[in-house]
Amino acid sequence: MSSLADRQAALVAALTSGAPVPAGFDGRMVEIARVALLRKRAGEVAGQWPALSAALGTDWLREWSAWAETRPTNGSLRDGWDFARDLLSRDALPREAGAELASREAALRYDGKTSPRARRLPAIRSAAGTVALQILGRVRVLYRN
Amino acid sequence: MTPVEYGVGIGWRPEIAGYVEHLPGLRFVEVVAESVHDVLPPGLETLLSRGVTVVPHGIRLSLGGAEPVDPARVEHLAAAAALLGAPLVSEHIAFVRAGGVEAGHLLPVPRTRESVDAVVANVKRTQAALDIPLALEPIAALFDWPDDDLDEGAFLTEILNRTDALLLLDVANVYANALNRGTDPLALFSRIPLERIAYCHVAGGSLHDGVYHDTHTAAVPQEVLDLVASLCSLHRPPALMLERDGDYPPAAELTAELDAIAAASGYPAVTR
Repeated sequence: MSSLADRQAALVAALTSGAPVPAGFDGRMVEIARVALLRKRAGEVAGQWPALSAALGTDWLREWSAWAETRPTNGSLRDGWDFARDLLSRDALPREAGAELASREAALRYDGKTSPRARRLPAIRSAAGTVALQILGRVRVLYRN
Repeated sequence: MTPVEYGVGIGWRPEIAGYVEHLPGLRFVEVVAESVHDVLPPGLETLLSRGVTVVPHGIRLSLGGAEPVDPARVEHLAAAAALLGAPLVSEHIAFVRAGGVEAGHLLPVPRTRESVDAVVANVKRTQAALDIPLALEPIAALFDWPDDDLDEGAFLTEILNRTDALLLLDVANVYANALNRGTDPLALFSRIPLERIAYCHVAGGSLHDGVYHDTHTAAVPQEVLDLVASLCSLHRPPALMLERDGDYPPAAELTAELDAIAAASGYPAVTR
């Protein structure tokens, strides 16, 4: 039998990365837990990214879950950020969510791999038709399409 | 914990800080340990200055993980307790990450000897960094491991006996686990050392697809309040607290929930 560490990792992979449910578990209940986990993450990310979740409206939970079901959490700030950038790269970020993403991109430096950090220099960023400017930590939305 | 009776408490959250701050009879709150930093939020400072006991409750230590607990997380828990002047801290019998991946949730550990050894080792590592007691909370789990060879009562009792830890009993978890497995929630009370309970969680949840989810985002069901009353008739814990983690209701509803816990436990109401 494989080690406890391996077996715990296999269960986490099934719940967060779309890996198969390890042998012997109740597949129905693990699936219910997996979906509940995505729903809980959706609520947490919506709290961090209110404009994004509101802009997707009734599609929010479905769109979020489709994106998140193969991506384990890095915390709700980064999860929502990665999701918004992914939508933007596919030209699918709603205009109503542009100011939220542009403002954060201008305020913080985020490499997609580690925690976002405050920018020390002024920055100007745009997303989905909105332009945001940050100087000395203060962000202003300059142009909203 | 000293045999102080704190009565009815509540989980402090920023969203309900204004409400909690004005509860006249409140003597006990719990705060998520990972949210405690060097500068406390004003609402929590006010409670401390009033002499309210504030207990840090860890959610990401992963005591049930096969790997040793992260010393930095243990240090943070100890520092939070020191900052709050807490008489105890609490964490879960669960794992939250494995193989470097965060689960984003509290997951059940197998109820095996190997797993008991892993939990006990991690609890002892944590206790070594604390100068106050640690209370362990069994979780609500939607599924079990295929190779469980201890029942919940034997598993818990073994861990508590080998670590000298206290018990944080979540009455809603007891309810959820029993409902989802078709077992009798009262049966657990005769299998675990009730005198080791430091305090209790009480919360609400919701039914989805015929399964009860312990979400902490709904009102406490009557069945959970009945379970609180049954527990208190056997052995009344020193404190019982309401846990709410979202969909925060108006103040009047929180008051009704706190009063219902007071009525079920026989402790005085803290809301007036």
